[in-house]
Amino acid sequence: MAPSVGGDPAAPTDTAASQSAPDGSSKAAIDGAQTSKTSAIASSGKQENGVANGETKASGAEAKKRAKAEKAAKREREKAERAGAGGTAAGPQASEQGGQSSGALKPTQNQQKGQKDRQGEAKAQAQAQTSSKDAKASHKRTGSVSAANAQRPLALRRRPSQSGGQAKESKQIVKEVGLFGHLYNQPRRYTIEGASKAVHPAVLALGLQMSSYTICGSSARCVAMLLAFKKAIEAYSTPKETSLPRHMSSHYLSPQIDFLKTCRPISVSMGNAIRWLKDQIIHIDPDTDDGEAKAELCAGIDQFIRERITVAGSAIAASASTKIKPGDVILTYAKSALVEQTLLRAHEAGTDFRVIVLDSRPLFEGKNLARALARAGLRVQYMLLSAAPHAAKEATTVLLGAHAMMSNGRLCSRVGTAVVAMLAHARAIPVIVCCESVKFTDRVALDSIVQNEIAPSEELLLPSAAAGVADGGSLAKWKETPGLQLLNIMYDVTPAEYIDMVVTEFGFLPPSSVPVVHRISTERDVRT
Amino acid sequence: MPHATHPPLPSLQALILCGPGLSLNTFTSNPAQSPKCLLPIANRPMLWYPLISCHRMGITSIHLIIPPDAKEALETALATHPALTSLPGPKPEVLAPEGLEQTSGTAELLRLPEVQGVVTRDFVVLPCDLVSELDGSKVLQQWLTLNPSSTSNSSNSKQSKRGGGMALYYPTHGREGISSESKKVVDETDFLATVPISLPAVPPPAGSLRNNVEEVVLTMPTDTLNDTLEENNGSLPIRQRLLNKHSNVKMRTRHRDAHVYFFPHWVKDFIAHPNNSEKFESLSEDVLGAWAQAGWRPSLASKLGLDEVLGGKRGAEENGGEAVGTHAAFDDTGDGGSMTPARFSELELQEGEEEEEVDVMALSSTKVSVPLHVKQEREGKWFASRVQVPATTETEPQTKTKSASKPVSKPKSHVHIPPLLAYIQPPLPSLPLIRRVDTAPQLASISLYLAKLPATSSAEPGVVYNALALEYKVHPTATIGPQSRVSEGDSLVAENVTIGSRTNIKESVIGANCEIGGMVKLTRCVLMEGVVVGDGVTMTGCIIGKRARIEGMASAPTSVDGGSGKAGDGVGDGAKGKGKGKKRAEDEEERTKLTDCEVAPFFVVEAGTESKGETLKGFDEEGSLDEEDGEDGEGEEGEGLDDGDGEEIDV
Repeated sequence: MAPSVGGDPAAPTDTAASQSAPDGSSKAAIDGAQTSKTSAIASSGKQENGVANGETKASGAEAKKRAKAEKAAKREREKAERAGAGGTAAGPQASEQGGQSSGALKPTQNQQKGQKDRQGEAKAQAQAQTSSKDAKASHKRTGSVSAANAQRPLALRRRPSQSGGQAKESKQIVKEVGLFGHLYNQPRRYTIEGASKAVHPAVLALGLQMSSYTICGSSARCVAMLLAFKKAIEAYSTPKETSLPRHMSSHYLSPQIDFLKTCRPISVSMGNAIRWLKDQIIHIDPDTDDGEAKAELCAGIDQFIRERITVAGSAIAASASTKIKPGDVILTYAKSALVEQTLLRAHEAGTDFRVIVLDSRPLFEGKNLARALARAGLRVQYMLLSAAPHAAKEATTVLLGAHAMMSNGRLCSRVGTAVVAMLAHARAIPVIVCCESVKFTDRVALDSIVQNEIAPSEELLLPSAAAGVADGGSLAKWKETPGLQLLNIMYDVTPAEYIDMVVTEFGFLPPSSVPVVHRISTERDVRT
Repeated sequence: MPHATHPPLPSLQALILCGPGLSLNTFTSNPAQSPKCLLPIANRPMLWYPLISCHRMGITSIHLIIPPDAKEALETALATHPALTSLPGPKPEVLAPEGLEQTSGTAELLRLPEVQGVVTRDFVVLPCDLVSELDGSKVLQQWLTLNPSSTSNSSNSKQSKRGGGMALYYPTHGREGISSESKKVVDETDFLATVPISLPAVPPPAGSLRNNVEEVVLTMPTDTLNDTLEENNGSLPIRQRLLNKHSNVKMRTRHRDAHVYFFPHWVKDFIAHPNNSEKFESLSEDVLGAWAQAGWRPSLASKLGLDEVLGGKRGAEENGGEAVGTHAAFDDTGDGGSMTPARFSELELQEGEEEEEVDVMALSSTKVSVPLHVKQEREGKWFASRVQVPATTETEPQTKTKSASKPVSKPKSHVHIPPLLAYIQPPLPSLPLIRRVDTAPQLASISLYLAKLPATSSAEPGVVYNALALEYKVHPTATIGPQSRVSEGDSLVAENVTIGSRTNIKESVIGANCEIGGMVKLTRCVLMEGVVVGDGVTMTGCIIGKRARIEGMASAPTSVDGGSGKAGDGVGDGAKGKGKGKKRAEDEEERTKLTDCEVAPFFVVEAGTESKGETLKGFDEEGSLDEEDGEDGEGEEGEGLDDGDGEEIDV
């Protein structure tokens, strides 16, 4: 009884998800998808709730509620059949769904809020974990059953206006990990198809290189972006009846930035650089000659790269390398350009030390670091993250790179870093973070859920499985396997108490000084 | 505030080379009037296909390069042909350089001052005979992604200085109905040796071409390969140096170069370099062949002037410097003992503004930043390296001490030769079709292949149509007589075609303004524009040039007479001489019957002609290309094979 009841209300969820897409304009489609997503979250939460309650106790109130839900679902289905396709159905449905769901879950427009609500429910979820899996399965089953009878015309209508990508997306909705649902905003772009005509080819190329990880790493992406922008600026000419400072940022640079954002979410350092560049543009005298202004901007960009990244990097490497003593065993994770530079410099200074590079799937960035160090003649050990406790036994210092330093002193870095830092902290091994001040942000991070980046789950598959080979490993059919979700997040957050020191171009700092340094460095930027 | 009114951004340029079409000489014997690029493929001028490829790639700056004598015909077609005028975007520009002959090589063409002047940035070279279902932007995408220079090059040059190139190879086998196995004419192929490029950090997304992109290390047409084999008694000599550098070389002989090249701007200078002007004749054979080899033959690179081209003689202060980028920096530190990225970055800071070089790739976490040769510049081996780089062999006499090793290894200037990449399409029928249409059988088979594609007008919304599909299978303006049948699944009928009664058309392409009489049977035929087919004609596997006339039964002159005065002449001719009187009497049996023939434009095939496998063309239509000799022979042979009832096929 219970599973079927739990399953039934799921049917309108399916329709909501399926109906949202076939709207003509892409923007509307995205909006629709988002509403439907909230509704999906809402209903699945309610569903779990219902199942959990149904198993623990079947009170009269619950039965009443269930009956109500069933009725509402039936009404909904009829309505959907009448209304046919179109994102219009998704809106009312979403609200109604929220209305009928138990008081614990309110209809939330704000995804983050919905997120929190879900977190609040985590206990109930944990309780009902097994049953929720059942619900998932039945969810799927009823979905197909309903498609067989009632949903037929809808399914047909949905198909024509949807291209392949959209269809895939609607399948992926099931494959999204609930806790990180807010991060699946847009699939990563791999093509130049549909890119705005205003996007400069250098930016196009950069976008593709970013989404394929050819250029990866916070500083590399920041530098590459600035160089591409420099080319774009060189190709720019101010239209008549406007001036460069008023036109360039909003009409010329923003399509470039938007394109890059669709390829991969921009990093903190890129965001800082963009903010700086826009500030530079605004402060150009509108009477300045185009060529002169452009030259000024390009020179400014060069200077920014030099000051904030190249020289800063050398300075950090120089000071951090003094922390490496003869006989040390340095433990590092993945690859940071700064850590590499530091190690190379220490080696060059004649210090005799050993390096253990920890690494993990799917990017295996540590391999590149290990290879570079080996080529330079260092003694290197390479291990996977699963061997981290073993590595921590020998290590005397942990050197880490950064994606960003948060204002509450936390470090945002490649996923896995926190584990290494924690292990080191437990063994009282000093943890040193190398980070240019351009990666500092005034945002705070309490966890790695609210702000993060989700990479395509397919990257976790073996290459043969990703290529669609039939027996390409056990995960090859993960999309068809009900209840199986893959999560491929990019970053995690290391608590400030695990970090003993942050090396910046301003010197050695405790993590608590991040906001101060950030303020100083941005003020300096604005003033120049 | 006025909204974005951007000038077109400097993206790629496309050069479409409109060649003479030597292998299609039945139809292009007069290149000034009907150049190869205007021959119809599935009722659209050949040129439409590369143009649409460019548009799909988002390229709007297109130059058509054509010999001056055919310029007028091309411009007229561009202005009037419905398929060409309906193309979006700015019109392609026609460039007819003075010195360009119909017989000029493709590399010579690129050396012409007019063409050199036009190329101002990275460019794509396409042939006019490319029919490609493959979305060119996918290849472009791979080129952009794998081209490291596009972001890391120095600031002042407006084009990527050190980028690599990208070519496209398609399999000539493995496709039903189009591949060469079934044809009497063997498709041209190229010999290709490639090495794999480094794997991407993560598996590429579905639909990406990345897995089939390889680096070319040797390439030559199969003819050249055969010559080489003959010279060496059946063996192909391969340089040791290639195997030293690349341990995993794959050779292919059943692929063909699609002649689609994505080139960075410097290739223009490379082709025009004084060292090469003698050597480079053809783009595919000479330029690509040399470039592919230069990657592993440093001596060849300098001989070809690549170090000068790539080293850049741009800045005056750089004039002496022979190397670029990171390598330049390494060489510049004459006395400096050891060089590391840290030192290197300092150095470039000292060097100041003009050599502003941040190597993004070194910063990237998915790349190895320390170049391989740093190791032996620095000291003896700590770690065994399994892959021997050529640099190692060059610096063999190197000793352990840095001071001694340095001068020895220094004189070799390290110009990094950008890789020549290639997308090599695997021979799977499910993949998009790429073909070059430069022989008559290819023309026919591709036309018929395109005729089988579902038409876009019969659209169910949402179904993704082939980009090359036509709007109508049978154009609404076509008139089809009673009891006639056109099999719409595999045939095309263009505008203003009239088809008589009781005619059967299967697997055929009928060009615009054709007049087809009654009782005609067409199977696997390609008719270009304005062909007149008389009553009762049976044709199988024929390609008919434009405005040709195939006379049918004289007994039903009504429709033929209606055509023009000339039709009457033809009938009269048949009646008068050439011993056709007999046939005319028993006209029911003696119908015109052509099988596997090619009929030249404007040619009149007389009633009652029966021939198989011939090329029917007039002797007086000799074009500027002296191909007639071979053709004569062929024609006569064909006649000899024929039943020999005294028919003549010259006008």
